Amino acid sequence: MTGALAERIAASARPAEPPGRSVPVRYLVQARRQETHDTVTLELRPAGEPIPAHRPGQFTMLYAFGAGEVPISVSGPPDGPVLVQTIRAVGAVTSALCAASVGQAIGVRGPFGTDWGIAGGAAPAGARQPEDDAVTGRAGRTALTDPAGQDLLVVAGGIGLAPLRPALLAALGAPGRYGRLTVLVGSRSPEEICFAGEFGRWRDAGADVRVTVDRADSGWRGHVGVVTQLIAKVDIDPARTVALVCGPEVMMRLTARALAALGIAERAIRVSLERNMRCGIAECGHCQLGSVLLCRDGPVISYARARQLLAVKEL
Amino acid sequence: MSGVTGAELAGHPFLSGLDAGQAGCLAAAATAVSVPAGHRFFEEGGTAASFWLIRTGHVALDLHLPGRAPLIIETLGADDLVGLSWASPQREWQHGAVAVQPTQAYEFDAAAVLLACDEDPDMGYKLIRRLMGVAAQRMHSSRIRMLDLYASPAQRGGRP
Repeated sequence: MTGALAERIAASARPAEPPGRSVPVRYLVQARRQETHDTVTLELRPAGEPIPAHRPGQFTMLYAFGAGEVPISVSGPPDGPVLVQTIRAVGAVTSALCAASVGQAIGVRGPFGTDWGIAGGAAPAGARQPEDDAVTGRAGRTALTDPAGQDLLVVAGGIGLAPLRPALLAALGAPGRYGRLTVLVGSRSPEEICFAGEFGRWRDAGADVRVTVDRADSGWRGHVGVVTQLIAKVDIDPARTVALVCGPEVMMRLTARALAALGIAERAIRVSLERNMRCGIAECGHCQLGSVLLCRDGPVISYARARQLLAVKEL
Repeated sequence: MSGVTGAELAGHPFLSGLDAGQAGCLAAAATAVSVPAGHRFFEEGGTAASFWLIRTGHVALDLHLPGRAPLIIETLGADDLVGLSWASPQREWQHGAVAVQPTQAYEFDAAAVLLACDEDPDMGYKLIRRLMGVAAQRMHSSRIRMLDLYASPAQRGGRP
């Protein structure tokens, strides 16, 4: 190869990509916590260079060596080197991840996608309601604005609490930045409530946390019913509330409908959508939902944008 | 004297929109009650002779299972109606209801309310429409729960 050709090749090469974008970065399981009978939270520490810091709501691709790679929402706070991920065993790869033991290596790519827009930190001077739900980010994609000064209503269904937890922790860690923080959790049964051991701390930090189950057992004395029933029971100021919703799509649709009926604007309702994310970098098209590539344009989008997508049967 | 006024009843979301005369008529059949946690409003299989509008507190609807503690099937709170069976021809409770915390409510004599509705069909129509709204909402919620949305594929018996 001539020196001139080598220079041309070097000049045309892509700029160095951040670690973990295309090639998995090696992390080690530092701790493992069994949340429910089929759900595990792993704390992962980088074995070398870490992936970039995530924002609440983003996801990573976790690689169980020898089994495969799956998208998993980050469930821990964005600060610090430890990556916290909560995984439900629903297939071969997620079962392998849930079975990972302390010290075991796992491949990580990411973080990918949009976030809830919860920046945390101190209250900015003159915070006011954003005029729109979205701004155009640096990469030309839609990003949701930080609802500083607004009330936050978090509605989670089942494992949907995992991707909401980073936003919740960021909001709790930023007293004064947001208004009232209300957390509504729906679960299949009492024993399948994720992060139940943390609810007391969230309440102590000022959040109004309410839980309902679809099916009670004989020891359950809490609320029984669908999570949308809790919405009617909380004091909401629709004009100053931003809702963060995550769960099965039917649950999100019904929740968004109930919130809209209360007068919350669709642009103030944010949902996290899930499809078959594979590459994470908007190149393979597996996660396409209508005109949206969810690994890049999602998973978190406003309901104003999601409503049509959720209504189409065959997307 | 029930001690409940029509104006008080008209302030309850379930009855808002009734005219003053109709609210006053219902007030004659109503009593303000305050019960402690654990108070049982009614038992499955009993005669449905009353209904309640919750002002504060929570009430659990439950079913008895042989050899086990009662199973809660739904929880009701402030502004909710407790008791629909009084409006059905059978007038028999299909489940039980127990206060899970101190609860304040308006208790209605169902027979008196039905008689008042017979005498004032307009009020009866308004009341039936409200009852239908509650029944429809509860049926919708029950159907959603039947979908078992939070179940894993394995729990649904399908492939992961």
